[in-house]
Amino acid sequence: MRKRFDRQSFLGPNSTEILERCHVAIIGLGGGGSQVVQELAHIGVGHFSLFDADHVEDSNLNRLVGATNVLAVSHASKTAIATQLIRGVNPSASVVAIPKTWQESADSLRDCDVIFGCVDSFAARQQIEVSARRYMTPYIDIGMDVHDLGDQFAISGQVILSMPGELCMKCMGFLRDDLLAREAENYGAAGSRPQVIWPNGVLASLAVGIFIQLVTPWHKQRRRVWYLEYDGNSQTVVTSNRLEHLKGTICKHFSSLEDLGDPFWSVEKSIQSQ
Amino acid sequence: MKVVFKIMDTLLDEVRRDLIRPHEFAAERVGFLVCRPARLNGGGIVILAHDYSPVDDPDYVDDPSVGAMMGPRAIRKALEFALNNQSGMFHVHMHEHFGRPRFSRVDIRESARFVPDFWNVRSEMPHGAVVLSNDSACGSCWVPGVSIPIAISEVRVVGSPMVSIRVQP
Repeated sequence: MRKRFDRQSFLGPNSTEILERCHVAIIGLGGGGSQVVQELAHIGVGHFSLFDADHVEDSNLNRLVGATNVLAVSHASKTAIATQLIRGVNPSASVVAIPKTWQESADSLRDCDVIFGCVDSFAARQQIEVSARRYMTPYIDIGMDVHDLGDQFAISGQVILSMPGELCMKCMGFLRDDLLAREAENYGAAGSRPQVIWPNGVLASLAVGIFIQLVTPWHKQRRRVWYLEYDGNSQTVVTSNRLEHLKGTICKHFSSLEDLGDPFWSVEKSIQSQ
Repeated sequence: MKVVFKIMDTLLDEVRRDLIRPHEFAAERVGFLVCRPARLNGGGIVILAHDYSPVDDPDYVDDPSVGAMMGPRAIRKALEFALNNQSGMFHVHMHEHFGRPRFSRVDIRESARFVPDFWNVRSEMPHGAVVLSNDSACGSCWVPGVSIPIAISEVRVVGSPMVSIRVQP
C-alpha cells in the first residue's frame, strides 16, 4: 500500500498518514462531486461522508464519473456509485454514504476536517457555509455554469475556499442577496441546466489542489483565501480580482460568538450520545 | 467522553505571542480562551475557541512560589464575561519548550480550585484549562454532569496547514 504513494511522497514526510486520517465530506455527487471523490480516493484520503439524495439516470452519463449504463438502468444512488468508486481504489477507506439531502443528516458534517460543496444553487452554498463556519470547518465550493449569450455559449465556473475566520462567500461578492432572492423566485422553474464533464474535471482538480495545500505541508506559500474563476471558452483560470480589492477586509458575517457551536447546546444530549 | 479542542491558527499565534511577553513580576502570563461547545456526531464534544482574553497586568498577584497567580479581579472579569456572553472559559498558559506540554502539580491544583467556579455563572457550559508549548498543547475539560475533568483528546488547529495534535490515542 505504501508503494502506491511513493510518487506523492514530496507532499511531506507524514502526508500519507495525514491523508489517511483525514475526514472529508462531499455534498453533491454529480459531475463535479464524483470527480472530487475519485481524486480524493486516489490520493489516499481515509474517511468520507458522502451526501446526495439523487439516483443516477441516463442523462447523467455524460459527466458522472463512476456511472455506467447498467447503473443508470438500475437507478443506483449516487452515493452508492461514489462508494463503489472509493472502495475500488481503497477498500479500507471508511465511507459513510448518506443518500439524503445533507440537511437531513447535518450532524454528520460536524466531525469532518474539510467540506466540499458541489451543489447547484446559491441557497445551498449559503447553508453549507453557515454550517461549516459554525463548526470551524474549511469549506471548498465548486460550481460551473453554461450561459447562452445569443450567438454563442460561455462556460464559466469558480472554486472558492471559505476558511473560518477569513473572507466568506458574501464578503467575496459571490453570494449576493439579489442572486439569492432571484433564485428563490425561480425556485423549481430552472429546469435542467447544461453540464459537461471537462469543466467539472478542471474545477474538481483545482479544489483537490487547494485541499492538498490545506492539509499537507508540501507548499511554502500558504494561502488562506481562494477564489478562482474559470473561463471555459478561453480555457483559463485566474484568481478573482475581487480578492485584490478585499485585502485587509475582515468578515463581518461570521464574526460573532453566536455564529459558533450548537445554537441549542445541551450538555445532557452530549452525555446521552456516549 | 471524547473532547476535541478546535482553534484557528491565527488565534493560537496571537495567544502564544501574548503569553511569552515578560511581566513586571510574574514569571509567566495567563489568559482565557472564550469558547462555545458543540456535540460531535460520533459522540463527545468539540470546544470551539472564538477569542482570547489576556489577564491584565495589574490583575496578577506577586507570588514567587508559582509562575503566575491571578488575583480575584482577573477571575471576576472572566466570570462576568462568561455570564454575559454565554461562553465556556478555558484558562490558558504556556510552557516555553518544544514537544508535548504537561500540567504541573500546581496547575492541576489551581485549575481544580477555580475552573468549577465558572459553573456558578454558566452551569450549562464546559470550562477548562489548556497549556501550550511552542508547538503543541494539551488540556482538561470540566463537562457539566461529569464529576472529574476529562483530558482533551485532540487539539485541532484550523489553518493552513491544518494541524492535529493527538493527545490521547
